[in-house]
Amino acid sequence: MKRRDFVRGGVLSIPAAYLAMQGIGPAAAQSRAETLRVLSEGVPNTFDPSGAGANRESNGFVWNVYDRLVRFSRYEVADGVYHYDYYNLEGEVAESWAWSDDGTRLTFRIKPGLVFHDGSPVTVEDVKWSLDRVVSMPASARQMSTGSMTSPDQFEIVDDRTVMAKFDRRDRFTVPNLAIIFPGIINSKLARQHATAADPWAGEWLKENTAAGGAYTVESFTPGQQIVFSRFDGWKGGPLPTLRRAIHQLVPASSSRAVAVERGDTDIAMGIPPQELAALEGKPGVRIASVPMRNAFQFIGMNNTLAPFDKRGVRLAIAHALPYEAMFNGVLRGRGRPLFGGTEWAPSTAQFPAPQPYVTDLDKARSYLAEAGMAGGFETTFTFNIADEAVVEPIAILIQEALAQIGITVAIEKVPNAQMGTMLTEKTIPFFFDVSSAWLNDPDYFFRIFYSGDWRWNYGSFKNAEMEQLLADVRFESDTAVYETKVRRIIEIAFAEAPVILLWQPSHDIPMSDTLTGYTYYFHRQVDYRVLNRV
Amino acid sequence: MGRVSLRFVLGRVLAALPVLAGVVVLTFVLMRLLPADPAAFYATGPAMGPAEVEALRRQLGLDRTVAEQLLIYLRDLGTGNLGRSMVTGQPVTEDLALRLPASVELTIAGFLLALLVALPLGILAATRPDSAIDHLTRVIATTGVSMPTFVTGLVLIFVFYFLLGWAPDPTSRYDLFLPQSPRLTGFLTLDTLVDGNWEQFGAVAARLVLPAATMALFAIAPLARMTRASMLAALQGDFVRTARALGLSPAKVLLTYALRNALIPVVTMMGMVLSYMLGANVLVEKVFAWPGIGSYALDALVASDYAPVQGFVLVVAAIFVVLNLVVDLVYAAVDPRVGLG
Repeated sequence: MKRRDFVRGGVLSIPAAYLAMQGIGPAAAQSRAETLRVLSEGVPNTFDPSGAGANRESNGFVWNVYDRLVRFSRYEVADGVYHYDYYNLEGEVAESWAWSDDGTRLTFRIKPGLVFHDGSPVTVEDVKWSLDRVVSMPASARQMSTGSMTSPDQFEIVDDRTVMAKFDRRDRFTVPNLAIIFPGIINSKLARQHATAADPWAGEWLKENTAAGGAYTVESFTPGQQIVFSRFDGWKGGPLPTLRRAIHQLVPASSSRAVAVERGDTDIAMGIPPQELAALEGKPGVRIASVPMRNAFQFIGMNNTLAPFDKRGVRLAIAHALPYEAMFNGVLRGRGRPLFGGTEWAPSTAQFPAPQPYVTDLDKARSYLAEAGMAGGFETTFTFNIADEAVVEPIAILIQEALAQIGITVAIEKVPNAQMGTMLTEKTIPFFFDVSSAWLNDPDYFFRIFYSGDWRWNYGSFKNAEMEQLLADVRFESDTAVYETKVRRIIEIAFAEAPVILLWQPSHDIPMSDTLTGYTYYFHRQVDYRVLNRV
Repeated sequence: MGRVSLRFVLGRVLAALPVLAGVVVLTFVLMRLLPADPAAFYATGPAMGPAEVEALRRQLGLDRTVAEQLLIYLRDLGTGNLGRSMVTGQPVTEDLALRLPASVELTIAGFLLALLVALPLGILAATRPDSAIDHLTRVIATTGVSMPTFVTGLVLIFVFYFLLGWAPDPTSRYDLFLPQSPRLTGFLTLDTLVDGNWEQFGAVAARLVLPAATMALFAIAPLARMTRASMLAALQGDFVRTARALGLSPAKVLLTYALRNALIPVVTMMGMVLSYMLGANVLVEKVFAWPGIGSYALDALVASDYAPVQGFVLVVAAIFVVLNLVVDLVYAAVDPRVGLG
């Protein structure tokens, strides 16, 4: 019996009335009401907005502690639960922004009266220094270049409330790139005191210290254990948050996080696998915020440069042999949006990720295999990350059984996180499961990251001349009709070639106290304390 | 009382140095044999390509040969610098200093609890072989060793926290909503006592019970079995028969003559159990969110984070050396025939 099965079996048998009796006392409730408690799989490993090797929790840290020029607005997906709106931005430090008519100038007007945590005003010098820094730091430079921001020379101070950025031509990725984690606005007067000749951007100091002006400050930090945030009452980047404190704690066992949220000892539990979520469903005092992640996906990767996955027929055979329904309903428990079972090989819209036209059809799979000259089948190894074991292990077994029916013998291999990363980077892994997400949502961006290039993110090591050409064509395309026609062709190539098989977009499922409202899903998958309320 | 000379202690410490050096080098080389590249793992940000991975590798010094890296590490070690953890982003010495007291506090609590149960059980079982108490000892011992600690831990959490609500939530070492005491030793029981923070002391003690019991359940088995076996042998000794024949009270015979003679193997076992509990209780630490050194090292190992693993192995090896020394000193204390000259 597996550990979580045990807990689940137990949880299901608890009488609801008993739980209702186990409320927290009035005094405790009083101090709890203003404090949010989050149990998570990790705590930040750096405070630097452009920190190298930053973990996911560091992204959440920067999100709440630093402000950016602009932020994504949000839309409601369920009662009191929101998804960030990639296509609608609003000002955070910026009051307004505008492109010049020729698209070579982007000007930002800064809100008056903003202050950093140390009380000093947020100035255009701070904005310029922060932008100079984000295009210069190695961990953020390449991402910023996807928005045509490559050099400090591009940023100029116009007057004491206006900053301008110069470009060769207008780029629709520039402004969204300013709303992601990296370009946090840093208190440059403070940070520069800690810069050295070898470290002009104060990278060492900003790893462990903040020079920020966001809605929350760090009250205390115990590395590897917990971090406590308190509200910065001088924040004017948006409506003042209602939660005064937030405690973010590392609790390694997902079963412990899950029971704590069920017993009402914590407000939010992160990283709960589908099996344990099913057990929490409908429990008194608990609601599960379920948001379909528009930017994330789980997939089967195949190295298109290694035999036999270099044959299109083999890839399509697997695409038609996978037991989609059993995996999606049985293992994922239907929590997400399927990316299989589509009907169009030539898509009618330019939306992506979109359902691929693959269904479980073993006869079709066998004929694809025969077409590739591999009718006799072959042997391969299917690899996944031990960290994803709870979900992927049953999936791997289903795949192993399904592929055996078309003559493909699969050995299953689990590897530790770091080894998986190395194998993906070095492209030594033939056939695998992984999960990924894009920070920006345009379909062409998605293909540029995941279907081209010499990097880890091109999971299929896919190289297709026509797609590369189309991606180059649409990079700066401003005519929507032209853009969509070309993107539809890109999607058609992806469907026909199946360099990777997208399975589904998992939903972002966060069990939380039913007293909370306003939970918002962002591309970084961390909690935004600023928009949460307790009712 | 046996003789213990300073020369003996010094000699043992000096003899341990080559062992520690060997451990350092071996761990260092083994970590680099792992099929994972820390640079590739940490260059996981969006839009990070081969150039960024290479830059990170240079920054981490991983582009140098293993021999060069080892020399740099040894030089740093000489200055007390154990390197920096990528997982926590902190210097390893600080991480270990923060976490070692948590592990030690839990281990000592679990160990004392185990002794409190195992010694009386073992003695009683030996005095009444094949009685009900003997069978009970056997059942407890067998259950203790055959249940993996994380199962014991989960069962205890389920019963005492989830069902009964007697235990606090297994998510931290203290109550977050009570005032904290200043950190003096890192042992929260001591720190809160010194501070006179009774409410928090109660919270800390309550949070110690379940994980300590989980560890104790595992440790009871070897200790009780060893006590029983050793006592059985001692009770059959001629000196016990003589003592009984001379009309000494049963308590005196049992505790002064038999137990004292039976203690040497028990002390050996105690040393082994204690050092095992300190380094190898990753699962208990994980289940109870206990911020100890075991889970720290495991997280680092999975992430191919070299420095923390090396630091952990070095510290645990040093503790083993000290514990073994203490065990030898205790021999001399309990058995006058043992001389440590």
